Amino acid sequence: MALFRIRHKPGELVARMLRGSWRRNPPEFDLSESELDQVVPLLLASGAAALGWWRVRNSSLKKTQPALELQQAYRLHSLQSALHESEIKDLVTLARDAGAEPVLVKGWAVARMYPEMGLRPYGDVDLCFSKESYAKAEAAFSGLDRTTYQVDLHEGFSKLDGQSAEELLSRSRTISIGGLDVRVMGAEDQLRILCTHALRHSVWRPLWLCDIAAAVESRAADFDWQRCLGRDAREADWVACAIGLAHRFLGAEIKTTPVERRANELPGWLVRRTLKNWDAPFPELYPPLSYTRQFVTYFRDPTGMLRTLRMRWPDPIEATIRMRGPFNRFPRWPYQIANAAGRITMFLDGLRRSGPKLD
Amino acid sequence: MISKKDHFTPKARQEGLVVQQLEDEVLVYDNERFKAHCLNRTAALVWQHCNGKKTIQDIALALEKEAGSPVGEEVVWLALGQLGKSRLLTERVMPAAGKAGISRREVIRRVGIATAVALPVVTSIVAPKAAQAANCLPSGSTCTTAVQCCSNLCPGAPSSGVCS
Repeated sequence: MALFRIRHKPGELVARMLRGSWRRNPPEFDLSESELDQVVPLLLASGAAALGWWRVRNSSLKKTQPALELQQAYRLHSLQSALHESEIKDLVTLARDAGAEPVLVKGWAVARMYPEMGLRPYGDVDLCFSKESYAKAEAAFSGLDRTTYQVDLHEGFSKLDGQSAEELLSRSRTISIGGLDVRVMGAEDQLRILCTHALRHSVWRPLWLCDIAAAVESRAADFDWQRCLGRDAREADWVACAIGLAHRFLGAEIKTTPVERRANELPGWLVRRTLKNWDAPFPELYPPLSYTRQFVTYFRDPTGMLRTLRMRWPDPIEATIRMRGPFNRFPRWPYQIANAAGRITMFLDGLRRSGPKLD
Repeated sequence: MISKKDHFTPKARQEGLVVQQLEDEVLVYDNERFKAHCLNRTAALVWQHCNGKKTIQDIALALEKEAGSPVGEEVVWLALGQLGKSRLLTERVMPAAGKAGISRREVIRRVGIATAVALPVVTSIVAPKAAQAANCLPSGSTCTTAVQCCSNLCPGAPSSGVCS
């Protein structure tokens, strides 16, 4: 019997728990009951609970109370996927009837890379339209009952990716959802978008790395890595680093891929920060969901101002992305300072223009 | 409401339900009552055989076929009681009718602990806290600042903000 038990940090436990969880046959479960108990709230909060169930379901701990909580999340997401499917069909049909062709992004489009649709949570249905068809879609959706249909319409793809809408649309493809052909992103574009999205949000949710791992491992034989990495060398490096995080923490298989070497040489600050972000239940510390007051109100009542300033100090990963910095081994504070300065300027500018309505 | 009949032929409700088949169980979402239910394998089998034509005896025989050993009608009645309570049958089976009011304990006593099929169970699915985590708050959520909302609008903030 071991005299000493190594105590893992919560973020490390999350990583161990989700290792290989996106696979049809995940690796053998190796957490103790107390570790499972510790990690369940973190998984529930971050939307990775169903993946946790997928790992624990064949273990001796599957009947324990924390495991049953994970199972409930899995059941819930499974039902949500069925509800989502019928919503998507209605919404796509509505848009097409109005002469607008939507591209389904996020949620369902990502969940289909997993062995079961109930392994991932669902939020709104996100539909992107070309600039020309967006107005038609908006008009068609204006009379929609938003309590039944929770949908987000996007004009173009600029919120998701730097490549032009024409390029992304030309590479999109159709998949069948309950018998209806629905347009989704090309696999290469989808993986790039998953990677940059995760980094832009400082990899706060481990689920995003599971998405990346699932996308990498489910890629087709003709997957075009050059297209995925894009023309921008810096952005290509970010993508490689995000895949590297999925490999390092969750065991994503990257052998023989062009990102293999880079993925094994991740800067220490990126690794440490990612694990640190997983230590607390999402979104307890995740900005802006962690904000309790508008920043402008601290001018009237400065109680807690120091705490909120610390909370609003840019995360090194996000700051590097926002400042389009490289992921090298140098300290991050120059990017954090530059990012903070930019945000302060925007804040003051907004304050001058619209009064005390800012965050 | 079902009265006591010799040839009671229960019928599963189909309208307003979303059904999702999993490996060992069936999930049902009731669009009219906004409730989710989880049927274990036995309850699901009984429910699937409730076509309005099969009698209790027929359903028990169908279960026997699946299990490969005898299944008492009590098991079917127990399932019907729970399915009816969850409004998954077109007509509710009241305790006064037939054997629908028998308890799980009573069924175990009658059929023996070594029954070939698991006893039917219909449970409600309750969303675990924060299982639907998102990066931003959907409309209708309480917010303190606009950037928390997916819409970027939080009228009433900071005291009584609700994402629009």
